[in-house]
Amino acid sequence: MAPSAGVFRYLLPLVTGLALLAIWWISTALDAFPVGTVPPPGDVAAAFVSELSSGRMVSDIVASLYRVAWGYVTAVIAAVPLGLIVGRSARAKAALLPWINFFRNLSPIAWIPFAIVWFGIGDPPAIFIIFLATFFQIALATAAAAGSVPKVYYRVAEDLALTNNEVLFKITLPAIMPQLVTALRVAIGVAWMVVVAAEMMGVGSGLGFLINDSRYALRMDLVVCGMIIIGVIGIVLDILFARLANVPSVRWGFDR
Amino acid sequence: MTDLVLDLKGVGFDYGSNRVIDGLDLEVSRKELVVCVGPSGCGKSTLLGLLGGHLQPTRGTAKRHGQTRTIYQDGGLFPWLTVRQNIDRGLPRTTAAEARTTKIAEWLEITRLAEFADHYPHQLSGGMRQRVEIARALAGETDVLLMDEPFSALDYQTRNRMRRELIATLEQRPRAVVFVTHDIEEAVQIGDRVIVLGARPANVRRILALPTSKPRQPAAPGVAEAEQAIMDELGLS
Repeated sequence: MAPSAGVFRYLLPLVTGLALLAIWWISTALDAFPVGTVPPPGDVAAAFVSELSSGRMVSDIVASLYRVAWGYVTAVIAAVPLGLIVGRSARAKAALLPWINFFRNLSPIAWIPFAIVWFGIGDPPAIFIIFLATFFQIALATAAAAGSVPKVYYRVAEDLALTNNEVLFKITLPAIMPQLVTALRVAIGVAWMVVVAAEMMGVGSGLGFLINDSRYALRMDLVVCGMIIIGVIGIVLDILFARLANVPSVRWGFDR
Repeated sequence: MTDLVLDLKGVGFDYGSNRVIDGLDLEVSRKELVVCVGPSGCGKSTLLGLLGGHLQPTRGTAKRHGQTRTIYQDGGLFPWLTVRQNIDRGLPRTTAAEARTTKIAEWLEITRLAEFADHYPHQLSGGMRQRVEIARALAGETDVLLMDEPFSALDYQTRNRMRRELIATLEQRPRAVVFVTHDIEEAVQIGDRVIVLGARPANVRRILALPTSKPRQPAAPGVAEAEQAIMDELGLS
């Protein structure tokens, strides 16, 4: 009998994970690396337990999620309308698209000096960095999607005597939803990835701060602990956002 | 009051310096099914754009008495709406909420789509999708229905069945129809009149009036002759 799909989906990732863990554990147990460069799994596990029991881990996770949520949601709210305008108007496209592209190619890390000068310390500079990391991407993806909506929908809309507003919200927006959902999924990944950079300065909490702070204390076990938590939460966010594709009015974009 | 719903006189249309249509006259009256056939690329879709008011003629006049709806070859349905919601979009805007429910039910009945009312277009076969398109377009109760090769993406058997269904639906809800196709057999099966268009720039080469009963079997009197006449006109025989 052939192994069921569940075996492949759940068992194989577990096997590769355990294999990686074994390599890690054996190599550190044999002192394969110079002292202090690679923490053994046991130390990381101990760091994990102490972070969890002290409550620091939960507050770091909450702090990072809070900043990512603010930066991401404001970016979506601002970028989608901008993308719709750029995608639907030749004039707005000519005026804005090259600049959206310009800023998209700038690493958000390049903005850190300005983030601090403009927003001081605390949450705002971190939120600003996350906003920048996602805003231009989403605007660009929305514009590209809005520019490629089949013309036939607009002709039908003309026959149905829809107003300009109705065309935007009842034709263009639903027509780009599948692409938008994919763009939102990619962007939440980027926003979460950038959290380490965004929390490099001016904050005293968050998973990015945990990693940066532990680096100065040479606590590589804590660094790895932070990396693992970021990776796991990243996967959870991706799974949640992937579910948007199952919304009935969006499903058509993925099923054909 | 005139019986004409569409009246084109000396219409010409250019895309830049490219003459697509030139010197075209066409009259369509209420409840008439006019089929336009012509070689591919002869400007049939452009003609429908002019009839539907989506394009303005470069020369001549195009008069429309009443509203039009167009059915496209494929993909004109809104994929993010269910069958029911698509038909609902087609109803006149002023329709009251209760009337909408009954009218949608009627259209689902006429097009035999009741059990697929809550399906999305991508879950339907090509023939079913075109039935929804027809229901949505006719639900608008407009004066003119324009059809741009509506069955050409379907397989042969479905295409034949769809022609019969279209005629049956129009008997229940009569309307002026301009039906564009490259399929000569289709033209002589369903048209009251067949307009043969010439190659670019398109104009009317010949108008054939056909016997009244529809849809016609290939062996019905006059059908083979009409088909031959069209083939001759298009230089295909």
